[in-house]
Amino acid sequence: MNRRVLVAGLALVSLVALLAGLPGGLTAQGKVVKIGLSLPLTGADADGADAIMKGAQMAVAEINAKGGVKGYKLEALVYDSATPAAGQYDPAQAATNYKKFIADSLVMAAVGPVMSGEGKAISPILSEADMATITPSSTNPDITDPKFQAQYRPKGKAVYFRTVTTDAYQGPNMANYLFHAQKIKTVYILDDGGAFGVGIADSFQKRVGELGVKIVGRDRLDPKEADYKTILTKIKGLNPDALYYGGVMQAAAKLAPQGYEVMPRVIKAGSDGVYDLSWPKQSGKEAVEGWFCSQASPELVTSQKLEAWVTKFKTDMKRDPTNYAITSYNAVLVVADAVERTVAASKPLTRSNLRDAIQATKLGSIQGPIAFDANGDILTRTVSIYQWRDGEIKYVGVAPEK
Amino acid sequence: MSTLDVLLQQVVNGLALGMMYALLALGFTMVYGIIELINFAHFSVFMTGTFVGLVVLSLMGVTATSKSLTGLALVGVLIALFLVTMAITGLLGVLIERVCLRSLRNVSGTAPMITTIGVAFILINAMLLIFGPQAQRFPQLLPNWRWELGGAEVTFKQLVLFVVGLLLMIALSHVVRRTTLGKAMRATAQDADAARMMGIDVDRVIVLTFFLGSALAGAGSLFFGLYYGFTGYYIGYTTGLRAFTSAVLGGIGSIPGAVLGGLFIGLTQSLGGQLLGVKWTDVIIFSILIVVMVFRPSGLLGARTPQKA
Repeated sequence: MNRRVLVAGLALVSLVALLAGLPGGLTAQGKVVKIGLSLPLTGADADGADAIMKGAQMAVAEINAKGGVKGYKLEALVYDSATPAAGQYDPAQAATNYKKFIADSLVMAAVGPVMSGEGKAISPILSEADMATITPSSTNPDITDPKFQAQYRPKGKAVYFRTVTTDAYQGPNMANYLFHAQKIKTVYILDDGGAFGVGIADSFQKRVGELGVKIVGRDRLDPKEADYKTILTKIKGLNPDALYYGGVMQAAAKLAPQGYEVMPRVIKAGSDGVYDLSWPKQSGKEAVEGWFCSQASPELVTSQKLEAWVTKFKTDMKRDPTNYAITSYNAVLVVADAVERTVAASKPLTRSNLRDAIQATKLGSIQGPIAFDANGDILTRTVSIYQWRDGEIKYVGVAPEK
Repeated sequence: MSTLDVLLQQVVNGLALGMMYALLALGFTMVYGIIELINFAHFSVFMTGTFVGLVVLSLMGVTATSKSLTGLALVGVLIALFLVTMAITGLLGVLIERVCLRSLRNVSGTAPMITTIGVAFILINAMLLIFGPQAQRFPQLLPNWRWELGGAEVTFKQLVLFVVGLLLMIALSHVVRRTTLGKAMRATAQDADAARMMGIDVDRVIVLTFFLGSALAGAGSLFFGLYYGFTGYYIGYTTGLRAFTSAVLGGIGSIPGAVLGGLFIGLTQSLGGQLLGVKWTDVIIFSILIVVMVFRPSGLLGARTPQKA
């Protein structure tokens, strides 16, 4: 072999290695903070996830248009957390996405996940990496409950922050509403087997029990099943005043039309899992008529104060906003605010410092003040009630807390 | 509703549900009977069929929100819908055979079966890309007639499903048992080489088998859409798994066995759901499958033929 070629080759290889080894490489790289977004963009809950993604993207675009935060540009790194095999969100895929975020040294914090099932899978991973995520929509209380600290945040510090409240309020407050306003005496409860669905159905069940409503039964739907006539026939035979469904869209898309066929007159209620603007398109306008649903946030979309924001969202993102598009927008603002405070305090911009700054958040926002307790839960605990009327979600009011 | 009425209603529900599984199991079990291939792509062809049906309907100007049709217009639309959809899914089956399976025909072992799983995923993802992830509404063409039966209720849709399932079973049995094509199919099933020596065009027989099986999947898919009023890219999975179980339970390769297995699973699902709870559905179904397989390895109506060398 030619010695000179070998030497030249070796020199070239070592030069490349040297360049690659330099921090940031030699390419001119503006300072960037990446925010990881892992959302079920395909599958049954795609519409809600799309609104949430666009809320976050709008915030990123607005901040960058103003020149970024203290010299840092924000960048949203988006991964899909749904898989064709699941047909909806997939906790394993969410975990993979978050591992990818952690492997990317520029990802400093995340916004998401959308679903509590994903949250349970990713929270321990975040705890190990000392990286914060801010969820605009996942409401299962276990994830932030100190009782389950060993499971969801083994390193102790809160890493799972929320711009919505939890099902410790969402489920029970719907129970309060159905009991006080709809005067229900008996109820049948269904869940969809997901972490979110089971959790909220449990908290609803506990509260209706306390209120003295008779629970005539509880069962679980397989979201992939096409035929719910069996369970609906069984429920019809038990003749309850109301049916409560804890779960998300995949099962709901079939539950609504078949429920309408088998027992049209029973009061039917769900949670934020069925606050999905595409529901009438998926199930038919008449089938969703009368269904109650909720949001673990104040009503924002129709609020007078947010008219300008909503108009801008519709123009920029070419779709209707949801409340969780707004909580997602605010989640990005929380991250940006934390970056600003960290840099202002001349601390190095690390995941750990950013987590500490997020913990100390005191931010006025379009959804009201945002501040977190020691576990990461938002201090404002408003739950809103809605009803489907004539193919549209109509705001009913704030759910009673007692 | 009294307890007895509820049980009766569940029997009606279960029979209709079972016939849905049976419709899907028929084509599946037929292909197995001829070339001993477990064709998992069958259930994706079924799923694709619902979308083909949606497109065919929209080309005829029928959508989920359009006004319901009556009389001759309805009959015409239904005939066109079934003919076109079954032809397209049939051709899809032929395409799958020609492109993916023919070159593997003489490969022993599980390679062809694994290939069908691959084809299934290709179809699932193709439909996901084309039609999006959400459930799509399927136009409700059949009238909403209902009849009282004791304390229970039978809908026109359930009746149609049941009668069509039985008719298809009889027709398919007739084709396989009494026609020249059926004879050629059975000869191919017994020994493809010997059949070829007797002058049977084995390739043609297999292509026709795939066409027939996939056209049946197309018919099944339309009944699914008309009965449940929705479709989605994932419907082939659970329904397909249960249909597969029906075929195995009834005796894979046996056409009446597929219907018997389907009805058995449908009834198990509805009565099990009523008496124990729907969250136990899969546990009940697969426990029964295991028990049947232990005592009757070839299924309820399966022929106990010796294994080919």
